[in-house]
Amino acid sequence: MRLLRTTNAPRPAHVRLRLSFDRPSRRDLVVFGGYCAAAALYIAIGVSYIDFLFSFWVGAGYLLIVAWLVPTLVRRLA
Amino acid sequence: MSWAAHDLEPYAIQKHTKLKLAFVPLLIGSYSPDMMTKWFVYGIHLGPWDLKASDPAQFHRGWPGFGFTHSLIYGVAIGLILWKVFGSKLWGVSFLVGQAAHAITDTGDTVGTMLLFPWTFHFHLGAWAYAGQTGRMTDAAAYFSGLGSMWDLVFVVYGLWSWRVLTSSYFDNLIYRVDAFWPWLHRWVPRGALIVLYRAAFFYGTSRWIAWTIWAHVIHHYPYDLSWGGPHWVHAAHP
Repeated sequence: MRLLRTTNAPRPAHVRLRLSFDRPSRRDLVVFGGYCAAAALYIAIGVSYIDFLFSFWVGAGYLLIVAWLVPTLVRRLA
Repeated sequence: MSWAAHDLEPYAIQKHTKLKLAFVPLLIGSYSPDMMTKWFVYGIHLGPWDLKASDPAQFHRGWPGFGFTHSLIYGVAIGLILWKVFGSKLWGVSFLVGQAAHAITDTGDTVGTMLLFPWTFHFHLGAWAYAGQTGRMTDAAAYFSGLGSMWDLVFVVYGLWSWRVLTSSYFDNLIYRVDAFWPWLHRWVPRGALIVLYRAAFFYGTSRWIAWTIWAHVIHHYPYDLSWGGPHWVHAAHP
C-alpha cells in the first residue's frame, strides 16, 4: 500500500503580529488622576511641614480622608 | 536603610510570586525589621530626656543590638509563630516573604544585614551610604542623593507599569478573596475605604519619595552623588 503525503510541508497558519498594550480605561485614568491630585497636596504639605511625611499612619489617614471620605460625602450631598 | 522600597516592594512581590500570599502580613513583614528600632536610631525627645542609641548602626543592624530583626531567621521565627500559634499558614508565609524582602534590600547599603544570623557576618553590597547615625534629616538628604533613592525609584516605576495591581478589580478578585482579614474588616469598613487602604502603602511610598527628593534637592540643594557607596559628602557607617 502506498503512503500518501502532501507535496509540500503544511504552511503555518496566517497570523499577524500585533503588539498589544495593557491600556487603562477612561475610568482607570480618572481614578489615577484623583490619586495624583491627592499626592500633589500630600507632597505640598509634606515639603512645607516635614513631620507630615514621617508616619505611614498619617499618610494612610490622609488618603482615607481625601480619596474616600470627601468624595463619599460630596456624592451624598449631590 | 531604605526609605520607600519597603512600602513598594510588597506590590511587586504580590504581582510576581507564584505563592498564595496575603497582602497585609506581607506589608507588615516588609515593615517589621524597623518597627521597634527606627525611633531609637534617630533619637526622640521625651520630656527632659533625649533617647538615642549611642551607636545607632550597631543598635540597628548589629549584634549585640537589634540587628537580628534583619535576619532571615527572624522572619522564620515570627512566621512560625503566626502559623503554629495563631493558626494561619498564609499569614506566616506572607510575613516571612515580606520580612525577607526587607532584610535582602537593606544589604544594599554600607552596613548591610546579618542575613544568616546567628552568624554575625554583615552581607553588604555597599551601593549607598548608611547614614542613620547622623539623624533623620541628614540621613534623608544622603539617602535621596545616592543610589538608594534610585533603587526606590525602580519600584515606583515598576508599580506604575504594573498598574493593574492597584485596580479595584485586582483587589476584589485576588487580594480580598485570599485573606479572611479583608471580609472581617469589611463588616465595619465600606469596600471603597478598603481599596484605599490597600493602595495606601504605594501612595505613601511614592508620594514620600517625591516629597523627600524635592526637600533635598529643590529646597536644600544637597548634591546628588550616584557613585557606588555614595553620597560621599556624608560619613557612611560600616559594620
